[in-house]
Amino acid sequence: MSTALPATAAPTTGRPPRGPRGLTWTVLRLHRTALIVWCLALAAATAVLIWMYAIGDEARRGMSGCATPATDGLPSCAAVDAITADETYSAFLGLITTSLSYVIFPVAAWAGGALIGRELESGTARLAWTQSVTPARWLAAKLAAPAVVLTAGTGGLLLVNLWARQDDDPNLVGDWYLPDVFLATGPTAVAYPLAGLALGALAGLLWRRALPAAGVGFAVTLALYNVLERYRDRLWPTATRSEQGEFELPRSAWQQDWDITWGRYPGEGTPVSTSATFHPRSHYWPLQYVETGIVLAVAAAATLAAFRLLRRRMP
Amino acid sequence: MTAVTLETSTAAAPSRGPRGLLWAMLRLHCSALWFWALLMAVGVGTLLWAYGPGADAAWAEYRKVGCGGTAADLGCDFTVPAYSRYDTAVGIGAGILGLVPFLAAAWAGGALIGRELESGTAQLAWTQSVSPARWLAAKLAVPAALLTAGSLVLTLLHRMLWSSDGVLRMAMTSREWHHGITFQANGTLATAYALLGLAVGVLVGLLQRRTLPGLAIATAAQMALMAVTVALRPHLWPVETLTDKDEYPPFIGMVVGDGALTSTGARIEDPICVDNAKCLAEHDIVGFYRDYHPSSHFWPLQLVETGIVLAVAGLAVLAAFRLLNRRTGAAV
Repeated sequence: MSTALPATAAPTTGRPPRGPRGLTWTVLRLHRTALIVWCLALAAATAVLIWMYAIGDEARRGMSGCATPATDGLPSCAAVDAITADETYSAFLGLITTSLSYVIFPVAAWAGGALIGRELESGTARLAWTQSVTPARWLAAKLAAPAVVLTAGTGGLLLVNLWARQDDDPNLVGDWYLPDVFLATGPTAVAYPLAGLALGALAGLLWRRALPAAGVGFAVTLALYNVLERYRDRLWPTATRSEQGEFELPRSAWQQDWDITWGRYPGEGTPVSTSATFHPRSHYWPLQYVETGIVLAVAAAATLAAFRLLRRRMP
Repeated sequence: MTAVTLETSTAAAPSRGPRGLLWAMLRLHCSALWFWALLMAVGVGTLLWAYGPGADAAWAEYRKVGCGGTAADLGCDFTVPAYSRYDTAVGIGAGILGLVPFLAAAWAGGALIGRELESGTAQLAWTQSVSPARWLAAKLAVPAALLTAGSLVLTLLHRMLWSSDGVLRMAMTSREWHHGITFQANGTLATAYALLGLAVGVLVGLLQRRTLPGLAIATAAQMALMAVTVALRPHLWPVETLTDKDEYPPFIGMVVGDGALTSTGARIEDPICVDNAKCLAEHDIVGFYRDYHPSSHFWPLQLVETGIVLAVAGLAVLAAFRLLNRRTGAAV
């Protein structure tokens, strides 16, 4: 927290030093380990995704229809089954997708523990406030610098992920309504970590101790994640389809409820009528926007609460 | 920690309840103890709900959609609301058991050891009548006892559910005995991994001597160790093999590998001839095999893995004691 040094040293050299200065520089310098870990994780994920894009065409050939022996238009099954790229592609894309949807948890624990809780516990925050930094500006820098780094990172990784998934073949990359696929293919991927940052920071300000704040930040985001996963299907009205007899929905439909009316003998023959409620593929964007809105609202409310709490405590 | 020595040396009559190091442990980590009690209450409550009303509702709904009759087809492969609620409840119970090892590692690396060494309260305790080795022994023994008790209770409840919902589970094909979290929650592994988490956390805490790095590295180390043991799991007991002349044997249990057999009995990678007789003759293929673990291998697999996990935990504890001894040996 020797922040003031470069700021006061600058005038003597005649020209301001290059790169980030003042509070931003302090935040980045203090949390350089976290920054390095984040950059390494992003680099590794990007490298894996580029590799996945490179084997994407071969993976799709490994999923294509086949015939034995090879007939016109269809390759031989032996050639198709010999391709192992589709398994590699599915496994690694699944790993990146799941990891991207879990970024909120380490972010919340870090924000509660290392970013805010530790500073208040050890008193370095109060030291900073006696320098030329007001508590509100201190918190603003603490939130803004990681928010920018997180948004850039998750946003970039999201775009690379979408690029590597190519045509979104559900056999290779999972159906759009699977929880982790949903969270790693749209704006929710950027919104969730920001909510983790805000909730973690609020937990840090409330508890003022590193470990309890890290635990509470993690627990709160775990609850948020699971509540939204549980009620995601209710964030937009479902479509309904009722027909005489029976029918099947396409795979792209996210089935919600299935109601079968039987005749005199339940379970025998063809049912009298079938009714299904579901989300068609076209509900993807409405669902994404509503959920992103909710998560960003949670982030904004937590940020507001953090500033009010800080102001009330520091008149 | 001063309170302990004062109390034991000055009080004429020994006070009731836990004393000495045990009392200090419970007092210091009072919030962790409460959290553990709360987590166990949630786990037990959820599993008991699933066992009673949850299972009843799922059964009623299962019969309503016409499954379980003569023609079990349409809708029976679709998870219906009451069953999915039941499945969620069981998933929460098993999920808590799956999460405990990581929580134990994070807590042990951060709060139990790292913080004490960072703030110097450990060194203060060692200047009282507590030797470093006894201090570490108490740090390990008390959480180990609580972790074991809690995990075993949840495991027993999970086993009780598992033995009662067989038909329902099979119809919905949602959980299998060899699936990761289910496999751990049905046997001794959940407890063994919780103890491994504690041991890894303690060792990392002693190595790092700082709270937050201790927490982060302990969690990461536990994840890495578990990734290795889970990958080893299918190879810990001899597999059973099914063979068939014309096609692949049925896909049952925990499948480890499959391929084609030649007339000499050698195993080769399947060239995928399907029904092409010329191709089959060319590769000298006379049959197909599939290596798998039937459900009767549950306990052998479970116990061998438990043994390995406990051995690794034991090594971590040994390393922790040696490290502490070497670091404090000169001072004592």
